[in-house]
Amino acid sequence: MNTNSNVYTIVYTTIIVVIAAAILAIAAMALKPKQDANIKAETISQMLTAAGFSSKEDLAKLGNDQILKMYSDNVKTAFLIDAKGNKTGELETAVGDIELQDNLKVENKNIAAGDPQLPVYVFEKDGAEINVVPVYGAGLWGPIWGYVAFDANCEKIVGAYFDHESETPGLGAKIKDEAWFREQFVGKKVDFAKPDDSFDIIKGGAPKDDAFAVDAITGATMTCNGLDAALDTWFKAYMPFLQKKAGAAGVDEGACCGDGCGGESCSGEGHCGNCNHEHNHQEG
Amino acid sequence: MEYISLFVKSIFVDNMIFAYFLGMCSYLAVSKNVKTANGLGIAVIFVLLCTLPLNYLLNKFVLQPGALAWLGDSFKDVDLSFLSFILFIAVIAAFVQIVEMVVEKFLPSLYSSLGIFLPLIAVNCAILGGSLFMQQREFLNVGEAATYALGSGIGWWLAIVALAAIREKMTYSKVPAPLKGLGITFIVVGLMGMAFMTFMGISL
Amino acid sequence: MNEDLKKTLLNPIFKGNPITVLVLGICSSLAVTVQLKGALVMALSVIIVTGLSSFVVSLLRNSIPNRVRIIVQLVVVAMMVILVDQVLRAYAYSIDKQLSVYIGLIITNCIVMGRIEAFALGNKPIPSLLDGLANGAGYGMILVIVAFFRELLGSGTLLGFRVLPESYVPNNLVILPPMALILLGCIVWVQRSIQKDLQEK
Repeated sequence: MNTNSNVYTIVYTTIIVVIAAAILAIAAMALKPKQDANIKAETISQMLTAAGFSSKEDLAKLGNDQILKMYSDNVKTAFLIDAKGNKTGELETAVGDIELQDNLKVENKNIAAGDPQLPVYVFEKDGAEINVVPVYGAGLWGPIWGYVAFDANCEKIVGAYFDHESETPGLGAKIKDEAWFREQFVGKKVDFAKPDDSFDIIKGGAPKDDAFAVDAITGATMTCNGLDAALDTWFKAYMPFLQKKAGAAGVDEGACCGDGCGGESCSGEGHCGNCNHEHNHQEG
Repeated sequence: MEYISLFVKSIFVDNMIFAYFLGMCSYLAVSKNVKTANGLGIAVIFVLLCTLPLNYLLNKFVLQPGALAWLGDSFKDVDLSFLSFILFIAVIAAFVQIVEMVVEKFLPSLYSSLGIFLPLIAVNCAILGGSLFMQQREFLNVGEAATYALGSGIGWWLAIVALAAIREKMTYSKVPAPLKGLGITFIVVGLMGMAFMTFMGISL
Repeated sequence: MNEDLKKTLLNPIFKGNPITVLVLGICSSLAVTVQLKGALVMALSVIIVTGLSSFVVSLLRNSIPNRVRIIVQLVVVAMMVILVDQVLRAYAYSIDKQLSVYIGLIITNCIVMGRIEAFALGNKPIPSLLDGLANGAGYGMILVIVAFFRELLGSGTLLGFRVLPESYVPNNLVILPPMALILLGCIVWVQRSIQKDLQEK
């Protein structure tokens, strides 16, 4: 057989390519369920760590099934909301069919476009409700994201977890690796009075009594700026929902927002959340 | 200006050699004098500039999860991303073959001085790496992908010409025998890498 | 036969080491050596890919048409790499996340193609398999040495276990990529001081 003839060359190459593609397709299909389970378990681990149920290290020692079960056991409900904070759909939480809204990249674009489908995961821990929401943005080298856990009234942050794809190890990567960074968030709040800049990560250190800011990481300014922007963007998108939850803690809505806020929720304390028109009560 | 900022960032901050260490093999081997380094650098720019946008389109319309939706609704769930490596490298190999034929015909002196390294551009980590990073970063359109490709290529070219210039000058230095050649080159590239890290904090 | 096999297995570890002597496979060796665990996974992946690719190409060596030689080699190597990547994603997800792009770059790792061209095309399958495994091991050894120092001095840990006392202030410079190059330069320095015939004139 003349291995250099045209016919042989073409036939040979075709056969090799077909065999390679077939082997790969079979392997990819066979492994896909396990891969998807890994991704789901990873997302859930991050949420559970933010909510304070366990630490990422401990969760890493558990198998995927145990992590999924921990989610189902502790989650009360999970749903999607739109830009106005209204519920638009439910996410299944039964252990065999857990649904997550974890395509944060797409939702990030949707927030900018004005029509996001944002997830809220409501857990119950020691009798208290914990609301977990994702955040997503651009770090220095690649995407950064995380989960922020609020208390039942969405007023105080009770925990957070951040992750990244390609930040510098030892610098930007510290948002994930160093517990002190995310532990700073406990007890902090989102500033409803400044919807466009509701949280700050301050280089050089945040003032001790500032409830809406934490310290940045030395040497990781760009990553922290990216995280700051991500928090601002996503907190702003969630703001109607957060304010509704905070407002539901017994504030007289009629007192300030009676005159046509266009359905925006009232956060109490004398001003409306995202209203753009004039009111004659004081700001702040 | 998004494009200018992306362009400058990919030359200095995301430099293929100093930030990601891609394309090292041919980088170290061909940097002994400036003339050949220049030739290889320009070849790399050209190959990157042509293959990266092509791979971007391939990724967008064939490989990404849901990319095949244009064929019909039944294809919406198809995820061919596991074929990315193979398809990208096929595009690159085909392209390098074309470049090799063109250079052999029109620039024979460059062809002979580059020798084996011209076909080796096909396996230059920087070219495949560029396409893989493009896949991760999700550019908005072909223009951004092309800008990134041009910037990355120029960054690689800058790095190899700079190293060649230093190595040419180093032939007059008294380097201890065990360090001569490869050893001192590694250390010099490491130092250059540290210098390039100063660009990391720049935001445009 | 035994002498030849022994030479095939031992040569790539020291005298013919792919990284420090043949200057192949540098790219990925620098980026993944920040932590020992990543280096071990990468080393294992390269050993498997180089060994299996050399084996398969050697099996096919008499039937490959000359004109598409490189393409066929690339297809075989790419297939092995994708298989390794898919398996990692299923069974070692967190590591695969860290190594992401660099696993894919094993395709262009000069060691794999270099050994196929230099050895597998002209030798029987079993020796080719051994040559591939041994070169992968030589590469892996250098990776482990560099990662050992980078993780120890840069984080005070090894494989995640704290080794240096808490009071040790981590040397952040060592974690940064350029340091890997300087470490490699030092390794080459040591090796060439011992084996004087490797020194360049």
